Amino acid sequence: MTETRVTSEMRAARLRAGLKRRYAREGRFRLYGLLAIGLAVGFLLLLLGRIIEQGHTAFYTHSVTVPVYMDPARVDRAYPQGTNFELLVAEQQLARMGIADDAAGTKATALRSLFSSELKFAAAARIQSNPELIGQTVPITAPVSDDADLYFKHEISRDTPADQRRLSDEQIGWLDRMKASGQVKAHFNSGLFTKGDSTEPELAGVLGAVVGSALMLLVTALIAIPLGVGAALYLEEFAPRGRITDLIEVNINNLAAVPSIIYGLLGLALFINWMHLPRASPLVGGLVLALMALPTIIIATRSSLKAVPPSIREAALAMGASKTQTVFQHTLPLAMPGVMTGAIISMAHALGETAPLLLIGMVSFIPGIPSAIGEPSGALPSLVYIWENASERAFHERTAAAILVLLAFMIVMNAAAIFLRRRFERRW
Amino acid sequence: MKLNLFRAPESDHGHKAPLDAPGEGSPAMAVPKASHRGGGPVGPTKIEARDVSVFYGAKQALHEVTLDIPDKTVTALIGPSGCGKSTFLRTMNRMNDTIPGCKVTGRIEMDGEDINDRSVDPVLLRARVGMVFQKPNPFPKTIYENVAYGPRIHGLAASKSELDGVVEASLKRAGLWEEVADRLHSPGTGLSGGQQQRLVIARAIAVEPEVILMDEPCSALDPIATAKIEELIDELRERYCIVIVTHSMAQAARVSQRTAFFHLGRLVETGDTEEIFTNPRERRTLDYITGRFG
Repeated sequence: MTETRVTSEMRAARLRAGLKRRYAREGRFRLYGLLAIGLAVGFLLLLLGRIIEQGHTAFYTHSVTVPVYMDPARVDRAYPQGTNFELLVAEQQLARMGIADDAAGTKATALRSLFSSELKFAAAARIQSNPELIGQTVPITAPVSDDADLYFKHEISRDTPADQRRLSDEQIGWLDRMKASGQVKAHFNSGLFTKGDSTEPELAGVLGAVVGSALMLLVTALIAIPLGVGAALYLEEFAPRGRITDLIEVNINNLAAVPSIIYGLLGLALFINWMHLPRASPLVGGLVLALMALPTIIIATRSSLKAVPPSIREAALAMGASKTQTVFQHTLPLAMPGVMTGAIISMAHALGETAPLLLIGMVSFIPGIPSAIGEPSGALPSLVYIWENASERAFHERTAAAILVLLAFMIVMNAAAIFLRRRFERRW
Repeated sequence: MKLNLFRAPESDHGHKAPLDAPGEGSPAMAVPKASHRGGGPVGPTKIEARDVSVFYGAKQALHEVTLDIPDKTVTALIGPSGCGKSTFLRTMNRMNDTIPGCKVTGRIEMDGEDINDRSVDPVLLRARVGMVFQKPNPFPKTIYENVAYGPRIHGLAASKSELDGVVEASLKRAGLWEEVADRLHSPGTGLSGGQQQRLVIARAIAVEPEVILMDEPCSALDPIATAKIEELIDELRERYCIVIVTHSMAQAARVSQRTAFFHLGRLVETGDTEEIFTNPRERRTLDYITGRFG
């Protein structure tokens, strides 16, 4: 064994060298962190920017106001809905613009396609509420058709060859004239928030899906949170430690990783085919999502229960509190912020889940707005899916808008949950 | 073998002489002297432990401890870390029940009643045997709520005013009233460490227990706070049977009248504090109290 002599200078040099290395390592780590965060924020902004860029145009739309002469020869007092108002309006508008139609009425048909079918319903509704209007000229306001709207939003351009765009040169000319005459007005697209789904983009709204998602989440929260927290409390605080509890724990962890479509299959078999609950309803959707959310809630609750200092538990027990009193008066209140976090995460997850909805029929065209959990309804993510797959171009901007609504829903939900969590938070 | 370790209570209060004048070469030279508080009459036996053993799974932490604990007396349990003194303390309010895999054998009687008997509810037992822990552990609630907690869960106060009275009396007895009277509804966790420990003591005495167990109550406190707690312990002795686990020899000498020395899970020696510190019978006790190991 050779004796090595380490002088104090050598030691100091080594220390210095080591110190330099340590600082360099720390610097590198900080850099990686900054890079990672920068990258994440960059992608997030890119994604959000792209969605906003695509979707912002869906938040305004164009309406046309046309004076309609309620021709007594064509408007049936007893059955105004039967009147072909669109053609009537188109013919009158053509006449106003001084354009002569051919015998087959092709121009009227072409002009008529620039108005949304809402025009007919609006006119019929006016007559129905006041039949005295027959024979008079009544101004009727209705959205323009999706293609006309796209033209006003400069998404359909004159420069595109006529055979490659959905509007003919003639139609574009009419639209320009109507706009110039002040008949066409741009305004906030309130229909997007007050209507259900529709096959016509200009009439389609997200309200049905928002209400469907809200009802579904209500069912999920009411089932998954009490069940999940209860299960976690029992497993963590009451259940005897043993092989069975270990097995349950492992399986809960596994369940958290099961693909959501499997839960959809389970829901289809269990809730629809066996229990005969109404298909495509928020009830079934909520039940399926509750199954999916349970493992996450249980895991989060258990870990936050574990994080409660044992001294508090001992203090309560030593005061003569029973096990139940200890758990419900001390452990659970202290674990509440963590429980809330778990619940928020799983609810947010459930809100965006699409695959299980596919299997229980919620990804189908449902135009109505549900008023009960047993009624067929859509959901926001399935609406995004449906609209994205729609062939009408005008649905594309609405898809982005629906995504923004979904994100806003999520932000509102999370903000509410964070507010609640703050109120529960207590120091020890 | 039944050891009657405690002699009849002494009527003599003037017991300072032997401590103030220890003999030449006496172990007391090496340990802090017992103060004026150290002595006093020893009450009738409150708790009788007979052959108490504690197992954590397969490991035996406590071996056949037989000890009598007198009422209206401070009994100190001393010994090096891991010697089983805290384990023994926790058998007396059955806190070991809460540890999975823990088994207690032997017999512990309180006022002649077996506390491990099936008919004894640990919840009621813990209302009779209060406990103070090493680290102050007030609930994250207000000072008032902390003290009111015990009477509340046990249904001891019939009205709000009665509860207010209990809270005030308990805080006064714990010597904390003056300091917190104007902020009863601020959080208990906002107090200093020593105040928190006195709050915890107030919380324990609010249910009028018969026994108070203290597990190193001053080890997380500064000397001034420690002095206050020790003073408090001495006052509480008049009403309660107090058992205190301590690492501080000086503290044992200052506050206790009886001392039991534990080593490696066994009770080595027990007796009057003065005697243990001045004239221990066992070599190991002498080595420990003079700081040769521990």
